[in-house]
Amino acid sequence: MSDEKKKKKKAINRLKTMYPLRANIDKGYERSVEATKAGKPTAWSMVNWWEADPILKAMDIEIVYPENYGAVCAAFGKAQAFLDRSDAEGFPTHMCGYARNCIGYAAKMKELGEIPSEAPMGGMPKPMLLLCSGALCDARIKWFQALGRYLDAPVWTVEMPHPGVEESQMPGVREKAIDFMVKELREFVVFLERLTGRKMDWNKLDEIANDLIAINKIWYDLNEMRKVRPCPMHSRDFWTCMNASLFPAGDPKEALRLYQDMYDEVKQRVDDKIGAVANEKYRMIFGELPPWHALKIFDELAERGWNFVIESWAYQAPKPMDYSKISDPIERIATQTYQWLTGYFEDALKEKEYMGYFAYPYIEWARTFQCDGALFHPLITCRTATNHLILAQDRLLSKWNVPAMIAEGDIVDLNLFDYADTMRKAEVLEEMMDHHKKVRQERGLEW
Amino acid sequence: MTKAVIINGDGKTCSSIIGPTGPEHRRLANKVMEDALRQANLSFEEISCVIATGYGRINVPFADRQITELTCHAKGVASFFPTARTAIDIGGQDAKGLKIKNGKLVDFVMNDRCAAGTGRFLEILVDTLGLKIEELGNTSLKSTKKVQISNTCTVFAQMEVMTHLSQGTPLPDIVAGLHDAIATRVVRMAKKLKIEPDVVFTGGVAKNIGMVNALKDNLGLEVLVPDEPLLTGALGAAILGKELTLKALAEGKPIHEKERRLEEATFFQAESN
Amino acid sequence: MTAEEKKGIARAKEIYQDRALRAKELKAEGKQVMGYFCLYPVLEVLTAFDIAPFRILGDMKEPITKADACLPTVVCPFVRSAFDLGLKGRYDFFDGVVMCHSCDIGEKASHIWRIYLDPSYYHFLDTPHTVHKAAQEQFKGQLEDFIKTLESFTGKELSTDKLKEAVEIYNRQRALVRELYDLNKSDPPLVSGTEIIEIMVALMSIPVDEGNDLLKQVITEAKERSDGPQKKPYRLLVWGSVIDNTALIEMIESVGANVVMDDTCVGSRAYFPVVETTDDPLDGLAYRYLVELKCPRTFWEAEYGETKKDYIKDLDSRFGYVKDYIKEWDVNGVILQSVRYCDIHGYEVPGIGDYLNHNSLPNIYIEHDYSEGALAPLRTRVQAFLELIG
Repeated sequence: MSDEKKKKKKAINRLKTMYPLRANIDKGYERSVEATKAGKPTAWSMVNWWEADPILKAMDIEIVYPENYGAVCAAFGKAQAFLDRSDAEGFPTHMCGYARNCIGYAAKMKELGEIPSEAPMGGMPKPMLLLCSGALCDARIKWFQALGRYLDAPVWTVEMPHPGVEESQMPGVREKAIDFMVKELREFVVFLERLTGRKMDWNKLDEIANDLIAINKIWYDLNEMRKVRPCPMHSRDFWTCMNASLFPAGDPKEALRLYQDMYDEVKQRVDDKIGAVANEKYRMIFGELPPWHALKIFDELAERGWNFVIESWAYQAPKPMDYSKISDPIERIATQTYQWLTGYFEDALKEKEYMGYFAYPYIEWARTFQCDGALFHPLITCRTATNHLILAQDRLLSKWNVPAMIAEGDIVDLNLFDYADTMRKAEVLEEMMDHHKKVRQERGLEW
Repeated sequence: MTKAVIINGDGKTCSSIIGPTGPEHRRLANKVMEDALRQANLSFEEISCVIATGYGRINVPFADRQITELTCHAKGVASFFPTARTAIDIGGQDAKGLKIKNGKLVDFVMNDRCAAGTGRFLEILVDTLGLKIEELGNTSLKSTKKVQISNTCTVFAQMEVMTHLSQGTPLPDIVAGLHDAIATRVVRMAKKLKIEPDVVFTGGVAKNIGMVNALKDNLGLEVLVPDEPLLTGALGAAILGKELTLKALAEGKPIHEKERRLEEATFFQAESN
Repeated sequence: MTAEEKKGIARAKEIYQDRALRAKELKAEGKQVMGYFCLYPVLEVLTAFDIAPFRILGDMKEPITKADACLPTVVCPFVRSAFDLGLKGRYDFFDGVVMCHSCDIGEKASHIWRIYLDPSYYHFLDTPHTVHKAAQEQFKGQLEDFIKTLESFTGKELSTDKLKEAVEIYNRQRALVRELYDLNKSDPPLVSGTEIIEIMVALMSIPVDEGNDLLKQVITEAKERSDGPQKKPYRLLVWGSVIDNTALIEMIESVGANVVMDDTCVGSRAYFPVVETTDDPLDGLAYRYLVELKCPRTFWEAEYGETKKDYIKDLDSRFGYVKDYIKEWDVNGVILQSVRYCDIHGYEVPGIGDYLNHNSLPNIYIEHDYSEGALAPLRTRVQAFLELIG
């Protein structure tokens, strides 16, 4: 078409179905802000990987995610004032940027007696509950406890076991872990009933639990299709749409329908052999969260033939399994979350890789997605997103001859990411990827 | 800088000396002490009490006691400005925030890890700018649109300054930007103290009018600056010495807990080799 | 005096300076020695298998050079140091290691340890975050799994009697440590804070029965000697993250204070809680290790399922024991300290500060990099803090 000829074609071929899905996420967020402003009971919650969200939703409690809000404040350039406030309150400066943003926000809100006027997107209203998650990092249990200084909301922690890779495969460990989660979640329901004076609607819970399982299933299957050459979907589309699974806001049925449309589009591309990048030369892994302020770097890299085909484990859907025989919704919820956490452990053990989440999935995907290299973006104030990356870099190279580069950034200090330096490193990585591709072939590896 | 202040029983200053600084703390301490005695026309034996303070305080063999610069600064500040509640001191090596109540130190914060946010930051950058340290203040007053120095690390800030210079940014705007960068950092640190007026600004950097203005802007408060901001700590030490002496006399106790002697400077020169 | 003859405090210092001294002798005698990380691996279990536990610690004097190849520099330098020592072969005498979910970096470093050091026995003990009833049961289950892997490694079956014996002997050690700490209720204290570190590190480097003998010698010696600590105007308590090196305490004691009490994990935190005797010893052990160990890695709430937060009540439930220490040891100032990048202590700092202020107890927070050289600037802070107490 003549129009397209005039305009320079974008290097990344975005999915059309991504736009309505994103619009739905934004709409869901706005609705949530409206509801909380209107006085609906609100919980501040850590991302909990579907362990607590269905319960809160079934009890009709609105959920606000301060981690997500940290990213929002950073994107609006409003984080610094909250970080400064947290520092002035005496919290050490090396702690999680999202936590410091939230602590500064809570301190300011207490001082003013209302939502600070500079808070972007309507701010976070005063919560009736602070919900910690035992998953993955210490900040996510410690930070809400520290908020007791500013808020009189009770704090609850949803438990999550963290077995070792080999230990997780011992007889009975899985059953005990899920049983433990179930017991804790039942206690949580009792507590919520006491806190809100409402009764749990078990039918509703059953339905929401199933919806979230269905969303995760289709989201997983959709991402599996990215193993195809050329890869039909770029990480940009993943990041744009992952929130509908991770932060289940709004109507889950609507989200499910939109993911289905997205699945169909990706399937069509696979059939038509259409890639997300025109001339896919390098199939790439991306590690941790992207530099949100410098996303155009992916366009520039796409022009060089870089297609990002898979990304960080923590934001992926769990490996699918059969939940149909689990009649109790609480048990189904616990099982899904445990499946997400430990889903790669069995394979990791076979390969004697002992960091079964974070690091091992990269090692598996390098082979199953036939990757040429990895771009890791450690986030300096998020140690949990950082402390496995040197290991992953080392293992990818020594095991599969897949080289990785590290370009530092942060979750709140967005200026930290050095665009030009990253592009310089990328050129060097290309040379390494070319070299190691030959080595892989010499070794008789499949890609 | 190595400084000495001698006061008499009425609290009146008999002499004050600002000497150079360097690695040989002991020799320099001796030197300023001798100069101060000469200026006051006193012999060492006539001094009732010697208080050593600052980083080199453990290297003053002739001192009766060592007291930290934080306590001494608070004392010195309160003697100039009895209404002072907060003091911000930016020296060549560190920056401090002091909370003062009834003339006494009650809380403090310090930065001594990083050059950014101290006078050292400016010392390193004046060469890049082709200016003298004394010229910074007046140069910054000519600024019409101060630049934003976004890097908090001195080394990166230097590169940023070089970029601005190569882009032809007017010198005053860069200098004003640097002052603002230090002030931002120091105020951020001092906020841990819940800043209350009156705020006093001391230390070598307080002589720089540009820094004084930058600090005012960042605090949103007026700041008071003593005539000789460099001597605050030494004066505070002298006042504490006087207080200790009077207390010992009142209690009938000896002033000196140990024998002290002002050694020959040559001896220390030999030792430090 | 030859090395063999040293006793009491001198012997503790000797082991402190060469931690593997005794462990290597034991190895030569054909005994098994296993490393453990943090406080949660249950020592009674190892001892019941005739395995000598040896706490994995760092070394502030040793520059971290090898760990950077596997762990980023923005994580806890204590963990990096401990791991660095492992990579340098300082722990080569271990027959295996027991790691745990101490904190996030502790967990990750454990897995990385296994990958790079490939120990012949490795067990990762998951440790729940809460102290709820279900969490206690879960932790007990984890202990059963831990025992299973040890049984398969040693080819021996655990005897309940031996486990009960181990509980008893460790409880004796805990009582002796308390007796030692009690000596510091007097003014001047009978044992310096620096010596306490040496003794505690020594205890974590030798078998429990030998530790008990050492403690008895130390207590007798401290009561009898005339060259103990001098009386000083300040009696301090040091709270916070791990201190396994004397440098920090030496610095504090050099500016005119006695460190008479601590709340750290190479100190009272590791020894004060005792194990209750239960029919199934694992019940008492699970409770002691999960509930009674007061490390901020665990989530605490004042009241289970409380629907309203009362801040002071919350602080009281979390730090009330520190207030008791302050009273019993007649402390007049508290040093809150943490190694940089320690998240679990970092979040606690303003809260415990509020609590101490609420109880009118002077306190100061200092942060360090776990290196001896970097302690000098902290001297001014600590001295100024003492001047401020007046």
